[in-house]
Amino acid sequence: MGELVQKVELMGSDLPWLEGLREKGAVFFEKQGLPTAKTEAWKYTRPRDLLADDFILPPLEEEKENACTCGEHCTCGHHQREGEDFLLQAYVIDFENGALEHIAHNLPRGVTIKPLIEAIYEDDGIRKYLNKSFDMEKNPFAALNTAYLEQGLFITIEKNVMLDKPLALVHHSFSCHENLMFHLRNVILLEEGAKAEIVEYYNYSGNEKSRYFTNIVNELYIGRHAELNHYKFQDEAFKAVHIAYNAVKVKGEGRYNGFCLQRGGNLARNETHVSLTEERAEAEINAAYIMNGWAVIDTTTDVEHLAPYTKSTQLVKGVVGGQAKGVFQGKIHIAPMAIKTEGAQLHKALLLTDEAEIDVKPELEIYNDDVKCSHGAASGELDADQLFYMRSRGIGEEEAKQILVDAYLQDVLEKINNQDIKDWLAAKAKLAK
Amino acid sequence: MKTPLLEIEDLCARVADKEIIKGFNLTINEGEVHAIMGPNGAGKSTLSHVLCGKPGYEITSGTVRYKGKNLLAMAPEERAREGIFLIMQYPVEIPGVPVTTFLKHAVNAIRQHRHEPELDTMEFIKLLREEGKKLGINPDMLKRPINVGFSGGEKKRLEALQLAILKPQFSILDEADSGLDVDAMKVVAEAINAERTEHNAMLVITHYQRLLKDIVPDYVHIYADGHIVASGNKDLALEVEEQGYAQFLKEK
Repeated sequence: MGELVQKVELMGSDLPWLEGLREKGAVFFEKQGLPTAKTEAWKYTRPRDLLADDFILPPLEEEKENACTCGEHCTCGHHQREGEDFLLQAYVIDFENGALEHIAHNLPRGVTIKPLIEAIYEDDGIRKYLNKSFDMEKNPFAALNTAYLEQGLFITIEKNVMLDKPLALVHHSFSCHENLMFHLRNVILLEEGAKAEIVEYYNYSGNEKSRYFTNIVNELYIGRHAELNHYKFQDEAFKAVHIAYNAVKVKGEGRYNGFCLQRGGNLARNETHVSLTEERAEAEINAAYIMNGWAVIDTTTDVEHLAPYTKSTQLVKGVVGGQAKGVFQGKIHIAPMAIKTEGAQLHKALLLTDEAEIDVKPELEIYNDDVKCSHGAASGELDADQLFYMRSRGIGEEEAKQILVDAYLQDVLEKINNQDIKDWLAAKAKLAK
Repeated sequence: MKTPLLEIEDLCARVADKEIIKGFNLTINEGEVHAIMGPNGAGKSTLSHVLCGKPGYEITSGTVRYKGKNLLAMAPEERAREGIFLIMQYPVEIPGVPVTTFLKHAVNAIRQHRHEPELDTMEFIKLLREEGKKLGINPDMLKRPINVGFSGGEKKRLEALQLAILKPQFSILDEADSGLDVDAMKVVAEAINAERTEHNAMLVITHYQRLLKDIVPDYVHIYADGHIVASGNKDLALEVEEQGYAQFLKEK
């Protein structure tokens, strides 16, 4: 059995503070270990395969050519599938197996995108934000991510700058003979009045049976009156593990609007913690998941209302087929001084088979009376009469199911403000890939 | 020489443990319109559901051949693609699915089966508008979710519209007049009559004779206790109208 914390040489090992931080990450991870059934925050989603799979970091650049040793007649799958490109209008940043490949040219004035390690060496403000948005003691995977701090981006959108196109972080992953793990950290800063759309797209190239482990931590800082629209499509290979932690801090009258569609992976979790730290900060967290086979897909949210007049809404909808399991854990915390706040949360799931399962855990922690707060959960099945009606008009059973699933997911997809992205994700939210 | 389209022999079917259809026999040839009349609870709707392949019914014996093929072995969508169409007594509401979207899927599924090219959106909308106009269907109605908030009349007009654009060879009308006022009935009946050709056939299932004034059948069968107890021409329907079903039930 492999260990997840391994002795490897990373860039920046000559910086004592960075080495110290990595070490701290390793210690906090080992202290907590992998979550088990007894870990409350991971009650329904157990990352069972991580030790058995002997994950290693991807080979270094110079060894990369040898990563696939099959040559022209590849059998391992490396060359079986090209990763799908992001085709919408955007400033594209490409990653392959967790390593930065390319950053779009012609970025507008006021937008800076740097490789994380470069920003660390330049030490131009990143230390104020790096690892400052979450607690490593409570987040084993974020701690592990810190132990491998190296890859990722530092993005700054300056004061009052409004991006004309989304930034698209496109990730292509595959593994060959070895099972690979990638630890990515993005620190994204929207200064006062800035406005941006960011798309994260995780898809695989190579063999669909690739086993790899993606571990992402995003630290998102939204300034006063700033607005971030954060879209994500998780479409990893079906044996992959994908664990993402989004730590979001929103200042006064700032706004975070997140939407995540998850469809891939054997085990996947998208966790979003939003802190509304000043008056009238707002967050919207919407998500959809569609799954088959034996997958476990987890959507976890935690919204902290720490100031008066803050507002949050959440709508999460899932479609679960096969023997798959959907998990939703949603927490709303309202602090004593956060009067006149509003928090609303709704989870709905459609179960397509008798073996499909959902586990839902809503939690409200409200420490003052002057709030409006609600949560709800519902699950159902496809309506047999509706299916028959469509089939009696010549529509095949699978097509009829898809039409009903499209109708089911319509309201949550409508939450996406960007029409192109809405159309793209609607086209991807299908039962058959 | 008559060509049989649908041949039902000794059909028995049940729901859960209850026998509903008991030894039902009927042959319908191309070009013929048959009416089946019977008291409530005789299993008339069950017959229409079994012929269309609705899940939940168990066929315990008998055969049904459609164009010489074993109908009972076909999935509901295959039956529809082969030209069977059911005007439902209670059309189903499907929230979130606009009429246009649904019908485009249906038309193209059937065209694909007939090896005809799929209609593009413009052609399809044109067809839908033209046929809809004949039925007095407002284009706004086509944008709304299927049957959601439709009046009884609107639901039946939508069924008739589907009949007009899917062009089935064998139509089953299950209480097609329920929920319709006299004027709406005229419009719907006209659309149904327009589909009567020497190759098409129909099975009209009804409790009342009134529908048969607008859609005049070639044959009328009285259905009670799971099978046909009397057969005749359209005059038999008038007899029922005057004397009720009791006489046929007694004969048994």
